[in-house]
Amino acid sequence: MGDAPLVMSGATKRFGGFTAVSNLSFDVPAGQIIGFLGPNGAGKSTSLRMALGVMAPDEGEVALFGAKPDIRNLRRVGFLPEERGLYKKMTARDTITYFARLKGLSAADAKARANELLETTGLGKFKATRISKLSKGMAQKVQILSTLAHRPDFLILDEPFSGLDPMNQQTLEDLIRAEHKRGATILFSTHVMEHAERLCDRIVMLARGRKVFDGTLDAAYATLGQGARMAVEHGFDLAAALAPKGFEAHRAADKGPGDSWRVSLPKGLGAQDALRAALETGAPIVGFQPEEARLRDVFVSLVGEAEAATLDAPTAAEAVEAP
Amino acid sequence: MRNIYLIFRRDFLGYVKAWGFWLSLAAVPLFLIIGVGFGMFAASSSPVRYYTVIEPSDVIARAVEGEFQQRAVAAAEEAVELAKQMNIPLAEAEEQLADAVGERKFVAVPAPARSLEELRPWLTGERMVAGPAGERPLFAALILSEDGSVLEYWSGDVNITTLKRAAEIAMRDMSRRNALEAAGLDGGFLKEADRVAVKVPAFRLTESHAGEGGAEVTVADRAPSIVAVALAYFLWLMVFSIIQYLLMGTIEERSNKIFDTLLTSVKLPELLAGKLLAVFAVTSTMMLSWSLFAGAGSAFAASQSPAVVEMIQPFIAAATDPGLIIPALVSFILGYVLYGAIFMALGSLCDTIQEAQTLLSPMMILLMLPMFAIFIAFQDPGSPVIDYASWVPLFTPFLLILRIPQDPPLWEILAQMVIMAVTTALIVWGATKVYRAGAVHGAGISELGGMLKAAIGLKPKTS
Repeated sequence: MGDAPLVMSGATKRFGGFTAVSNLSFDVPAGQIIGFLGPNGAGKSTSLRMALGVMAPDEGEVALFGAKPDIRNLRRVGFLPEERGLYKKMTARDTITYFARLKGLSAADAKARANELLETTGLGKFKATRISKLSKGMAQKVQILSTLAHRPDFLILDEPFSGLDPMNQQTLEDLIRAEHKRGATILFSTHVMEHAERLCDRIVMLARGRKVFDGTLDAAYATLGQGARMAVEHGFDLAAALAPKGFEAHRAADKGPGDSWRVSLPKGLGAQDALRAALETGAPIVGFQPEEARLRDVFVSLVGEAEAATLDAPTAAEAVEAP
Repeated sequence: MRNIYLIFRRDFLGYVKAWGFWLSLAAVPLFLIIGVGFGMFAASSSPVRYYTVIEPSDVIARAVEGEFQQRAVAAAEEAVELAKQMNIPLAEAEEQLADAVGERKFVAVPAPARSLEELRPWLTGERMVAGPAGERPLFAALILSEDGSVLEYWSGDVNITTLKRAAEIAMRDMSRRNALEAAGLDGGFLKEADRVAVKVPAFRLTESHAGEGGAEVTVADRAPSIVAVALAYFLWLMVFSIIQYLLMGTIEERSNKIFDTLLTSVKLPELLAGKLLAVFAVTSTMMLSWSLFAGAGSAFAASQSPAVVEMIQPFIAAATDPGLIIPALVSFILGYVLYGAIFMALGSLCDTIQEAQTLLSPMMILLMLPMFAIFIAFQDPGSPVIDYASWVPLFTPFLLILRIPQDPPLWEILAQMVIMAVTTALIVWGATKVYRAGAVHGAGISELGGMLKAAIGLKPKTS
């Protein structure tokens, strides 16, 4: 385990005239949970497919455990693709056993591991049920278990939470933590920042195929100055009102009564100072909250509101699944 | 190898566990049994039909009756001969034959009336006529014209022509007999003329019979050609059968979005090899089962008669001749891989069965061409058409097998095997590229033209 599970250096991928990933460099040191963040179409899946050797970069290099991705080092990797798919006529146990065997486990070990995983995740009684007969959530769980079955050193999960209900999202978060505790390194992509905030040691942010941030969560929050959230009655221009007082305000997309604004705090001033200033200007305040830094805001500050708005759009898989 | 085996095993079991496989497996023997049984049932269940002849004397009636009797006797003689070959006790056979001769399907009955108008109620079934099989409607009436030049055939059912044909033959024979008698010759004259006619036996020059100049042509001489046609047809059937398996299997995986997961566990060539092997095993299982069924039938027939053993032996000898079986095996393997790779690559470009069907039509036309060649080879094994067409790489697997019994030069056999191998390698190379484009990059049918252009350097390659 001397080599880092993944190192990407200047990786670029083009499809015809479209550059999906441009000059992407980052590494995934052993033992970390890294979030690969960005809106849909940012190039996350393409980057992960390059990391796995499913497609080769047009420029740059990818090293998986210190070598070019091949079947040998891929045996140490568990991969959950964004677009889920299983053989519908296979049973849950046969599915996990099959993928575990493809990763090198013996028939007996694979079957025992499949039984163990199905039992511990509450799917024991469905082990002989065909995938086509399982609910969508259960089938997704089976696919996730297939990814973990061979106890990989490195887990690459592409939008693992997409399509899962809140309860199953929590179960998956627990599974990721358990895998991390076992010693696995984890890289997962998501467009839902909250998952990354709860799980990650480090994040890599991508927008339009380019890396816009790479660092710890604290470093990400530090890119934002301190601030406060204020909601005022519709139509009131808080930015214009606060500018003479030395505060900078930007519209925010928070839900709630009135128009939401984020007020940046100049060095040495606190949220209460901003509130006092707003009241002095006669602003019709309907809500106030000292700001807790959030990754979404970091992303907005890095790429702009228009780009960040696509974070809320469903993933390709979710869009297909929507009625 | 392990990965190939795992892919093979999963796909093979997936196909074999499907009910469609068992339906296909049972279809051939079942249809054969149903076909034979249906034919026998149709023959035995055919009702006895009454007919009558309106004529001034009974000359026509006796002539038609004579024709039916002659047919029954000829059939009886053939059956007795077969019974002898099959070791069936002769007395028992003759007894059965006597029953069969007695059990006629067209029986003459006395005319209930003397004109067509008067016969109408019996012909339409309004009235019944008595006969050996009880009361029945009159099936047909043969009415001789007043001048005796026309024998009109009247029936409510014009689809059954047995009686009409029997009457025609009887009238022709009667006319010949009358003509011969008018010339002062008796009726046995034609039979005698047939008996003494110069025979034309066929001989084939062979090295073993060089001293004598040759050996008389028997079924054994035609056995290699028949076996070659059977093997070529077998390969054609196999290729035809794999289409649905490979197309459907690949389309299912593409629509299931499973390729990425698989390709992080196995190499693309391993994936393709495992899948091709699985479908090969499925079709082989089917063909082997059918062969076992045919073998069991032949073994049963052979146990009943040494004549069957004699009949089968030349075919077994031809089928195990290394001169035929080695090129046939090479053709089988390369032909299967060649067509299998094409269908798999096409399947990887399709999201739906409907899309695949648009690709199937041209492929079907392409596949029908060797089928025509197989038909030509059956009619005319030495046809130059087969020789020329066998140099077209896509047809070589089928046509090389057909050429072998004609003893083509060795260099031609070897050259065609090399052409097949090179073509197969090129097709597999191209198919792997198309498969990767379809399975990994999600390319569709519309991009196939661009891929082909890029492959031959007509268009700049894009990622």
